[in-house]
Amino acid sequence: MKTKMFLTLTLFLACGLALFVFADNQEEEEEKNLLVFPKAYKTKSVSNGGKINGVVKFDGEAPEMKKLEIVKDKATCGKVDKFDESLVVGEDNAIKNTIVYLMDITEGKDFDAEAKKPEIDQKNCKFTPHVQIVPVKVRLTMLNNDPVTHNVNIADININKQQTRMIKRLRINAMTKPQGPVEVKCDIHGWMRAWVAYVPHPYFAVTNEKGEFSLENVPAGTYKLGYWHETLGNNNKEPVTVEVTAGGEVKQDFTLKMKK
Amino acid sequence: MRITMLTLTSLFILACVVMLPSFGQEAQEGSLIGKQVYEESCAHCHGLEGRGDGSGAENLLPRPRDFTRGLYKIRSTESGQLPTDKDLFDIITVGMPGTSMPGWETSLSTNEREEVVKYIKTFFSGFQENEKPPREVRLADKIPYSKESVEIGKGLYVELGCVECHGNLGRGDGTSAPTLVDAWDFKTWPANLTENWNFRGGSDPEDIFKRFIGGIAGSPMPAFQGDTFYHFGLTPEQSEQYAALEKKVEDGEELTTEEEELAAQYFEINDTAATAALDWAEGLEMSPETLKIYNDAMKVVYEKSWHLANYVKSLSPEKRPEFAIGKHVLRSQYIQGELPALADETWNTLEFSYYPLFGQIVVEPRQFNPSIDSVNVKSFYNDTEVVFLFSWDDKTHNTSEEENEETGKTYQDAIAIQFPVRPPKGPTDPKPYFLWGGKKPVYLWQWKASAPDTLTELTAKGIDKAEEQEAQGNFAVESDYTDGKYSLWVKRSLKTDDKKDLQLDVATFVPIAFSVWDGGNGDIDTKRVISSWYSFVLEPLPSTRRFIYPPLVALLSFGLLVGLRRFIQRRNS
Repeated sequence: MKTKMFLTLTLFLACGLALFVFADNQEEEEEKNLLVFPKAYKTKSVSNGGKINGVVKFDGEAPEMKKLEIVKDKATCGKVDKFDESLVVGEDNAIKNTIVYLMDITEGKDFDAEAKKPEIDQKNCKFTPHVQIVPVKVRLTMLNNDPVTHNVNIADININKQQTRMIKRLRINAMTKPQGPVEVKCDIHGWMRAWVAYVPHPYFAVTNEKGEFSLENVPAGTYKLGYWHETLGNNNKEPVTVEVTAGGEVKQDFTLKMKK
Repeated sequence: MRITMLTLTSLFILACVVMLPSFGQEAQEGSLIGKQVYEESCAHCHGLEGRGDGSGAENLLPRPRDFTRGLYKIRSTESGQLPTDKDLFDIITVGMPGTSMPGWETSLSTNEREEVVKYIKTFFSGFQENEKPPREVRLADKIPYSKESVEIGKGLYVELGCVECHGNLGRGDGTSAPTLVDAWDFKTWPANLTENWNFRGGSDPEDIFKRFIGGIAGSPMPAFQGDTFYHFGLTPEQSEQYAALEKKVEDGEELTTEEEELAAQYFEINDTAATAALDWAEGLEMSPETLKIYNDAMKVVYEKSWHLANYVKSLSPEKRPEFAIGKHVLRSQYIQGELPALADETWNTLEFSYYPLFGQIVVEPRQFNPSIDSVNVKSFYNDTEVVFLFSWDDKTHNTSEEENEETGKTYQDAIAIQFPVRPPKGPTDPKPYFLWGGKKPVYLWQWKASAPDTLTELTAKGIDKAEEQEAQGNFAVESDYTDGKYSLWVKRSLKTDDKKDLQLDVATFVPIAFSVWDGGNGDIDTKRVISSWYSFVLEPLPSTRRFIYPPLVALLSFGLLVGLRRFIQRRNS
């Protein structure tokens, strides 16, 4: 009898401990605001693919964008008013700079020539675009169109390169593994921020001022559609399932809320 | 039967539970010793799981390293590479100057330190995934320290934008300094290059060179990756020609066909070299030709880096100044007539007395992360007055209380010089408590950046029990803040009518101590840097009797000798 009780107790304890360990792990994953990538991706020619498009909108009253205080190199950096771009909500509550993408596509088109030459410009001490998609094994080019020195610090991939005003073009080491989005900073001008996503396939779109996105030439099939926004988070846990038919068009809008 | 089943299930689940943590942390290759040592000696700051979040972490700046991101500041390896085992072992052995990381050479055995290195590596999966060993920085072809090298380095310091953070003269007072944060968004300050005893990874030109080529991962300090240099791959002559062509284009002038071709050629050379540098950084297979292009181009980068390292080395004194005790006591020198003004060159004839400062951690609010290393003092006196020149480095010039989103709350900078109200009668007579006195009161001169030309006299009987004196004395005060350095010039008469003031007598040793506030580092009230008691003395003039007695003795001796000689001569004859 005693043995039985002891065993039952052990069992309970063991289950409790197991649950605890699992729960702890899960929490960790949630903390990171990252994209979901397929394990492998194969390119093939896609003809008569479908299209997924839509609009990303903000639910509720959008907070006003905070004007940034320019404390350095005012002659260059203070030319144009700058705002905190961590949440850009335009007309009709449209959200700019949201990544919308396919999470689980394993076969499809290759990146087009344009996508293989990603650039981020540094002008008036501001990164443009704010969110850039970079294919894996492709080098991102940083342009310095300012008469001041910048530095490109991407701590998550352990890269920090000084780009003096003399260096107009500077390439950043390519990544072999998909990852991100990772934050790009300039330490010299502490307010400068951008995001780079290193991706294995071309079915990634970044919403424009009108909140619009469009994924084109998608092979027919059923996919998980994901979004990512630097402030509003992602839907990694509840991706939207979309069914793409040959030559068809799927409309899928998103409404995002402020994280609690 | 049921019991057997239950036993089996329990055992199975138990086994699972035991295995689970090791799934989370990759293979736990670190031995039991490493884990044990880590948990006993390191985890309090670095956290049980190596996330830099131990119980002590909150009060430390720089924060203890988070080992889970593979970002290591002090490495002998190239940019983007992990540290070698030896790098980790060395840091554990010698510690990191200017931080809370102590050296463990005496408290951990060699074996224990080696084991803890293995354990620390389990916190970041990159160590296991890397097939190739990390690439070390090439130290061959070192350019020795020389005046010429320092001069070239000085030019590079400006060209490469070091000034943005480290400031014109390297005191860490660059215009970007107040807003710097690290990869964890914690506040971080650029190094004060004039105090190389605080360099985290050592102060030799080799150490400095490694920080350039490898960068300081996780910090705002960039790495020199070849292509970050202007016209990488071009010879100096080619670069000059190319720059002239570029300028023409910029000015809107048309290039001739020949010039255009030349420009295209230079662009190509630069681009090819930059591409080779990226191939190298990414660890790609490189053809012998590309490798040669890379190595040739890097030669120039290495050369420049050595010059810059020599320049940085030149900014600090050869060794840390001796603390102002023993023979380094602050000795005020006598001069006849007018005492020197703030900008007077007479000051250059005197050596500074160096007073190291440390965070005040006795009374709340405390300063666990002091930002000011020391205060330097010189002094002269004449028959009626004494003059002091205090100087100290401060990375930010704060003249008022401010609240700013980028830099947080800052206060005004200040200094207080502390003396006892009455100097002790002898070496055994106790001094007042060093933290602004106690039963025995102290007499203070307080200066604040908001009123740079005035000095306030205080009497205090404790760190929070200071009162302004009713009768304020007559001081001449001047101050200056340039390139990260404060200078404060104070002149007062040797004697005053106020009984609460310190009266100065020649050859009497007077205890002296300091409090300094760096408002940019959040110093206010008791949160500040302090010193313990040191000594100050009006150095007595060497007595004029030295001109009388020695010649007299010499004369007498001579006379005696002559007499003795005569006496012996007479006796012999």
